[in-house]
Amino acid sequence: MRVPPWLVSMRLVEEERTKFRFWFPLFLLWPLLLVFVMLTFVATLLADLFSLVSGNKPGYTRFVLGVLGVVTQTRGTEVFVQDKSNHNRTVAFTLR
Amino acid sequence: MGDDRSRILELLAAGKITIEEAARLLDALDARSGEGTGTSGAGTSADADGAAEADGVGGADTEAQAKSGFHKFFPGAGVKTSQKTGGSRTPKFMYVKVVSVKGDNVNVKIPVAVMRAGLKLTSLIPAQAQDQINKSMAEHGMSFDLNNFKPDDLEELIDALREMEIDVDSANGDKVHVYTE
Repeated sequence: MRVPPWLVSMRLVEEERTKFRFWFPLFLLWPLLLVFVMLTFVATLLADLFSLVSGNKPGYTRFVLGVLGVVTQTRGTEVFVQDKSNHNRTVAFTLR
Repeated sequence: MGDDRSRILELLAAGKITIEEAARLLDALDARSGEGTGTSGAGTSADADGAAEADGVGGADTEAQAKSGFHKFFPGAGVKTSQKTGGSRTPKFMYVKVVSVKGDNVNVKIPVAVMRAGLKLTSLIPAQAQDQINKSMAEHGMSFDLNNFKPDDLEELIDALREMEIDVDSANGDKVHVYTE
């Protein structure tokens, strides 16, 4: 399983000069997210247990794992927006 | 003979495309390979004056971006790496480029792995939810059964994305270019 995005950075450029640069270490949020994920897993395991008891196929835990998989694959996403009407402002947002 | 050329000839031999369509496709291939050869060195050192695109749709966009110093601060943004390497590997990123008539640009780079994981997610949807989703989609005119989607088809779909290129020219002059690299 890939590592989730660990850093988000934003850069604001106006008239060819960097006006603002911001980066946030997402890995600082991982412990908090881990607690949230564990609680979610408890809920999904219970849901799967109820599904089994009622004769349905369990799949909630696997689904949550799939969602986590999607989140971890977002590393490398970049968005650039250039607004020529507003001082030729460019905003860049990247997930590393 | 390149893979693309042989594929076109195979389609023609199988009767799936006409001679005129095959000729058009081959001409488009020649135009692309000719332009890519000419600009293959530009992408390796992206600076304010570099970073040109081979296709005509993105040409005006990158010229405008180069003038604004866009690539000086965001090297490699929106530049097709196939111009640098000429490779035809499994696509790694999907690029969406929007150039509005006012000159505003939006470049989005999305890892193909996200799409792959998202498509795999459809097979992980619990059965009860899948039935409800299928029913809701059918009610809205989309008779797509999530149960029929197999993860084995994923790699074939992702590989097919390598050839995907969408160009949209709107009536008011806005351009949208979607491709994978």
